[in-house]
Amino acid sequence: MILRYLIEKEFKQIRRNAFLPKMIIMFPIVIMLVIPWITNLEIKNISLLVVDNDRTTTSQRLVHEMEASNYFIFKGMSSSYDEAVKEMEKGNADIIAVIPQYYSRDLVNGNPTNVLIASNSVNGTKGAMGASYLSNIVVPSTGKLPISVLNLFNIYQDYKVFMIPALMAILLILFCGFMPALNIVGEKEVGTIEQINVTPVGKFSFIMAKIIPYWVIGLVVMTICFILSWAVYGITSAGPLAVIYLLAIIMALIMSSLGLIISNYSSTMQQAMLVMWFCMVCFILLSGLFTPVRSMPDWAQYLTEINPMHYFIDAMRIVFIRGGSLFEIMPQFMALMSFSAVMGTWAVVSYRKNN
Amino acid sequence: MTAIEINNVTKHFGKVCALDDVSLSIDQGELFGIIGPDGAGKTTLFRILATLLVPETGAASVDGFNTLTMMRDIRKRVGYMPGKFSLYQDLTVEENLKFFATLFDTTVEANYDSIRDIYSQIEPFKNRRAGALSGGMKQKLALSCALVHKPSVLFLDEPTTGVDPVSRKEFWLILQKLRDAGMTIIVSTPYLDEVRQCGRIAFLNKGKICGVGAPDEILNEFKDVFCPEPLSHSDEAKLSEDNDVIVVDGLCKTFGTFHAVDHISFRVHRGEIFGFLGANGAGKTTAMRMLTGLSQPSGGKATVGGYDVSTQYEQIKKHIGYMSQKFSLYEDLKVWENIRLFAGIYGMDDKEIASKTDSLLSRLGMSEHKNTIVKELPLGWKQKLAFSVSIFHKPDVVFLDEPTGGVDPSTRKEFWTLIYEAAAEGITVFVTTHYMDEAEYCDRISIMVDGQIKALGTPSQLKSQFGVNNMDSVFTMLARKAQRKSD
Repeated sequence: MILRYLIEKEFKQIRRNAFLPKMIIMFPIVIMLVIPWITNLEIKNISLLVVDNDRTTTSQRLVHEMEASNYFIFKGMSSSYDEAVKEMEKGNADIIAVIPQYYSRDLVNGNPTNVLIASNSVNGTKGAMGASYLSNIVVPSTGKLPISVLNLFNIYQDYKVFMIPALMAILLILFCGFMPALNIVGEKEVGTIEQINVTPVGKFSFIMAKIIPYWVIGLVVMTICFILSWAVYGITSAGPLAVIYLLAIIMALIMSSLGLIISNYSSTMQQAMLVMWFCMVCFILLSGLFTPVRSMPDWAQYLTEINPMHYFIDAMRIVFIRGGSLFEIMPQFMALMSFSAVMGTWAVVSYRKNN
Repeated sequence: MTAIEINNVTKHFGKVCALDDVSLSIDQGELFGIIGPDGAGKTTLFRILATLLVPETGAASVDGFNTLTMMRDIRKRVGYMPGKFSLYQDLTVEENLKFFATLFDTTVEANYDSIRDIYSQIEPFKNRRAGALSGGMKQKLALSCALVHKPSVLFLDEPTTGVDPVSRKEFWLILQKLRDAGMTIIVSTPYLDEVRQCGRIAFLNKGKICGVGAPDEILNEFKDVFCPEPLSHSDEAKLSEDNDVIVVDGLCKTFGTFHAVDHISFRVHRGEIFGFLGANGAGKTTAMRMLTGLSQPSGGKATVGGYDVSTQYEQIKKHIGYMSQKFSLYEDLKVWENIRLFAGIYGMDDKEIASKTDSLLSRLGMSEHKNTIVKELPLGWKQKLAFSVSIFHKPDVVFLDEPTGGVDPSTRKEFWTLIYEAAAEGITVFVTTHYMDEAEYCDRISIMVDGQIKALGTPSQLKSQFGVNNMDSVFTMLARKAQRKSD
């Protein structure tokens, strides 16, 4: 009953804040419209130089195919490999393809022939990806197709599909973690928390009144994200939305509990802000959001196991991209549930009305 | 010779007119007081003179230098002590002083003579952080910092608000000395005893100068505001003594080796107005925090409304009201929303809240401000509102921690009328204050020194016990005996 009045007060304060309501609308819009384009790990615009030592119609057809690929910027022909390497040293080429002499003759006769692909591997990913794109063009032209690749779930290997569920997680951290933390420390600094502490408001009601508004905001933000990703990118969840909302509610609880725990131990905005920021950076980098967890060193992989964000992003990707159901994310779901139980209890216990 | 000349200065903040065609002239070596209610424009005037604000029309000069065109010269020869926040709480006393000296391109050693009188009093604590000093000591340090570059003009904006009477007296002795040494001092203050020590004063109200002259003339001319008739108050004992609301027996609170509250014992009767006095750092706030269930006692026993403070503190909270010196309403909520929030917390239902809100606001004369954001109310109104909210749920006891800091006498009198009304309804009032005229309004008072209660009784009992004729002298006699100089 008391809770109702406390929550009403929180919403009034949020609404009356000159800045927060605008942020709640603008933040998801900016993140969803801008970030998916720039967190793109696809390699494009690779500068390509070709050395054609064969100069037959077959070799020329191959060159045209390379030219037509939208992964490459065709920088022209070089007369020799040495000259091409010089160009690469100047930074004018990322990759060189050398078509050997007698390429078409050997091809027709069925003799083994080799197209040399030399790539600048200073940027390892770019070099490797360029080389593999190029071989995809060269191999079919030799008439043999040794491997067939089937991209499951994300058929066009669109990075946006991969990133969008993760970006939603970041928004949840921002809204549900930072805002309650700053809110409580703000009340400490102004002194109004003292006034609440001498009233019969219980710890549990007080903490719930701080969490619930940000839960609601978190879900509103999620919904804005879904609408945008559908309207702008045509990307919708492959799995049931209900599961995603359920995950979001649990994640929001974990993050707001974390925010409250931090605020209960800090006395100034500066402190709370800094600690929260530190936690957030660790969470994001250890979550597999940008870099795959399996390629981290072992000790870091263990660390990801105590990172709720890791389970959340895993589960989100399984449901959103692969269309998994609650059953398939059970391990992640249980992990998140235990996190929320521990953090929630800690938040209530660490809030002291009497010392 | 004229030190300060203000000609037709006007300043608006949005629609609010902070200063309206103000003209004033102050002589060199004068101790000049500026008095007026909260929001009268005092701080704006100080800020214009200290070249921190630019007036819209009119001009001002300090020491012969125009505040607009020659601000560099002025800043070199002016010391400014804003009401609050002029110290770095995390730096030590010495570091603060050194920092301010560096700002003016000088050193503490070079000007040690000019600040010796004041600084010697706080020098024993030079390695303590400024945030850990008591109110009175902070003010002395702030004054030292304002004086370290030997200014010729000193601006002090309510330097003694929230400071106990003894520290205030010491502070003003220093000001007298500085004036005798030829410094021009402009000071604003809400305390009448301080106003009387000024050479001349100006009464500023709603941005206009209403009068300039000797303190007695002005106080007499505007006596409705400054010297309201004292509240009539019967000295007869309240109700039977066996009906005690607060019983304190040997209560202690220690922080490490420091005894903030050292075995205090007293009883407060139901319906009584109990004044809880003490110098800054004597342990009043600590004691009050224990009684309100915010802090656990280290020893001893205390009950409030029959509930034990160390175990049943959640029960206590249902039966008390509290108003702290830090303003305790939500500034970004409207008047009615604040009332609704706190009434809801104490379990009233919507209908009851709505009808009681209207009757409360009409009694306070604030009906038309029901939808005003609290931030926009004048300080005196906020305090009256905060008090009314703290007794809205009819508690057994209401705790008031320096409720009237920084308000003019007439507003304080209105506030005390509210306290009497509450007491008449049977609410016990437990109040701390630094205003000794308010101490006389209490039924009984206790005076705390060094964590112990050194005197307890009705105001007239105490006056005859110490053989003096006002509470101020009683307090001064006791507080001067304090052994520990700081908290």
